[in-house]
Amino acid sequence: MRQPGFRWVTLLLAVVLVLAACTGDDDAVDTTAGSETTAVGDTTAAPVGGPAGESLATVVANDVVRCGTRDALPGFAVLTPEGDHEGFDSDFCRVIAAAVLGDATKVEHIDLETADRFTALQAGQIDVLVRNTTWTAQRDGAEGATFLATTFYDGQGMMVASDSGFASVADMDGVIVCVATGTTTEGNASAEAARLGLDWEVRPFDDVELIQAAFIAGQCDGWSSDVSQLTGLRSVYPDGPEALTILPEVFSKEPLGPAVRDGDTQWAQVVNWAILATIQAEEFGITSANVDDMLTSEDVRIQQFLGQEVEGEEGTAVLDPGLGLPTDFAYQVVSQVGNYGEIFERHLAPLGLERGLNELWLNGGLLYSPPYR
Amino acid sequence: MTTPTVTVRPPPWRNVRVLSWVFQLVVFAVVAVVFLWLYGNYEENVARTGIPTNFDFLDNPTSFEIPGNDFSQTQPVRDVLVEGFLNTLRVSVVGIVLATILGTLIGIGRLSRNWVVRRISTVYVEVVRNVPLLIILTFIFLGVVLQALPTIQEAWTPGGVAVLSNRGIGVPWYEGGSGFQLLLLAVIGLVGWWAIARWRRGVSGRTGEPSRAGLYGGGFFLAVTIGGWFAFGFGVTTPVVAGRQIAGGMRIDPSYFALLVALVVYTASHIAEIVRGSIQAVPRGQEEAARALALSPSQRMWNVVLPQAMRIAIPPLGNQYLNLIKNSSLGAGFAYFELTNVTRVTVGNGSPAVPAFTLALAIYVGLSLLTSVLVNIANRRFILVER
Repeated sequence: MRQPGFRWVTLLLAVVLVLAACTGDDDAVDTTAGSETTAVGDTTAAPVGGPAGESLATVVANDVVRCGTRDALPGFAVLTPEGDHEGFDSDFCRVIAAAVLGDATKVEHIDLETADRFTALQAGQIDVLVRNTTWTAQRDGAEGATFLATTFYDGQGMMVASDSGFASVADMDGVIVCVATGTTTEGNASAEAARLGLDWEVRPFDDVELIQAAFIAGQCDGWSSDVSQLTGLRSVYPDGPEALTILPEVFSKEPLGPAVRDGDTQWAQVVNWAILATIQAEEFGITSANVDDMLTSEDVRIQQFLGQEVEGEEGTAVLDPGLGLPTDFAYQVVSQVGNYGEIFERHLAPLGLERGLNELWLNGGLLYSPPYR
Repeated sequence: MTTPTVTVRPPPWRNVRVLSWVFQLVVFAVVAVVFLWLYGNYEENVARTGIPTNFDFLDNPTSFEIPGNDFSQTQPVRDVLVEGFLNTLRVSVVGIVLATILGTLIGIGRLSRNWVVRRISTVYVEVVRNVPLLIILTFIFLGVVLQALPTIQEAWTPGGVAVLSNRGIGVPWYEGGSGFQLLLLAVIGLVGWWAIARWRRGVSGRTGEPSRAGLYGGGFFLAVTIGGWFAFGFGVTTPVVAGRQIAGGMRIDPSYFALLVALVVYTASHIAEIVRGSIQAVPRGQEEAARALALSPSQRMWNVVLPQAMRIAIPPLGNQYLNLIKNSSLGAGFAYFELTNVTRVTVGNGSPAVPAFTLALAIYVGLSLLTSVLVNIANRRFILVER
């Protein structure tokens, strides 16, 4: 009869042991969770309770910016045969690295599937997401992401075969529209069809290769995505770009920009100002070619922007806005990567994309950097 | 001088029973701590990033639509998940039935005395079983559905009763009447069939005349369905090409078709091996006894060997059914709106990832457990009663 008693003793022991382990854990979890919930709930007080500077410290410690990107979107991010990444988005990853670490090559490009990108960001697998990602309220809210300065103002459009006879989206009734999975495109396409009173069947595929195969085989009448993406995809279409036509209508607002994790304001500001520096540089007329000459510019604002000592009330000083960035970050960005216009010309103009909305505010576009002072 | 003393109990650190308990305790504690640590991390990260962890998103509008379905984008997410679950069920149930039939035939074929049949079956099993399902599915989608089937403009319409194109396959279907009426007819027909078969077998047992249960029962079933068809005013609708779509009839979605074929082809290769092994596990004496009774080869197979083989086959078949259900999630990459795809799309359109996938996980577990239960019931029903 000793056996059952012995069992009870060990069971009791087990419970005690586990409880001891739990309570230790639980306390730690509760306190951190509690303080951070308040910080998150009240966003104005975010810097107080949040792990400020955590990402920046990580990036500096790793001496590399882990940038979530993709491998096969012509113009934005393409994996080159040499194993490097090339494109508009990839250059903005370099802009961040140049600003934070002073070296545009210190970027680790991490290819992500569309459906996984926010999970990777939330999990801390990447420091910043620069992957053609549309800024929406739900993503700002529910995905735990903070969107920063828009790098590209895009809109969803429709591409059809040039010989299909469709001249406008309104012509397309009873058609099949193919899109990529896990994006806002499905919803936008469905909403547009409903608005126009058209009958569209929206089929989502995992990657563009499958969509292209389905499109070529004639399973899809329309191929809907952001106009910038369609332009890029059209440029590498097997039958040549002229076999495809992008219809004139744009039926959604798609501001594409970098995103960082919620709750780290300092890192968000750092990334934001790295992007804004490219816009400000273009406004000042600073390019990678003339940036060294600009160091001696007579314009005090330009000297300040490039981290030069300028005359102040208390003698000469370098402007340090306290962002956590080196004072010469703008110089590093422009000299190593270039200004916004240069990046655009390098990657997007060859695809046939116009500046359009992505023109400086001075020229009637939407690009506008707050003053650097 | 020491003499060996006989201790009643060893010290605790050498007592096997104590040690085994301590070991189990440690394992339990480690597992518990690891889980608590993971959950703690999750809680902490969720709190830091402000991601909702509740299931409120189920009431949000879905904002996307499902092809071939009158589903509206203003319906809540919970409805779209149900629809995804039903699509998983649609491909799984049909797939299980077809894979079982095909697998059984090939499994028998592997033991056939016909050299060609035997070789073909062997090659089928050895090739298909050794290729990843995703490759088979990609091949069928890209090679068969997209390339081998014609475009909608050049759709193939054999005899004007079906439409084959890479936008779907249209087959004749019923129209008029309601699903309930159809169900009613089927139930009456099947119950009648069962009752008549029972009666005929009773007669056969008493008098020794052939039962002909299938003939009488099947005849009744046909009579009921044909009679009901006209009584309820059912009609037939045949598919036609209308513009860029298939109108009328029933349209089989091309992605559904590709996924179904891939699942059936792949699972059948595994089922064939189970069937072959089970047949070979039936004692040879059974076959020999049947031969001694002068039963024909097909009677020996279908009436003597196979029923006993199926008893052995049921538990491993259940495993294959579970695999098929779970493998149906591969349709997600090929525009088939089963549960995984619906979950991914709803996550892409604003639902929180962790709760949404937790829900999908729970549904899959539930579906698999239900399948297990059904297989176990079948197993208990057919298990050999030793006499």
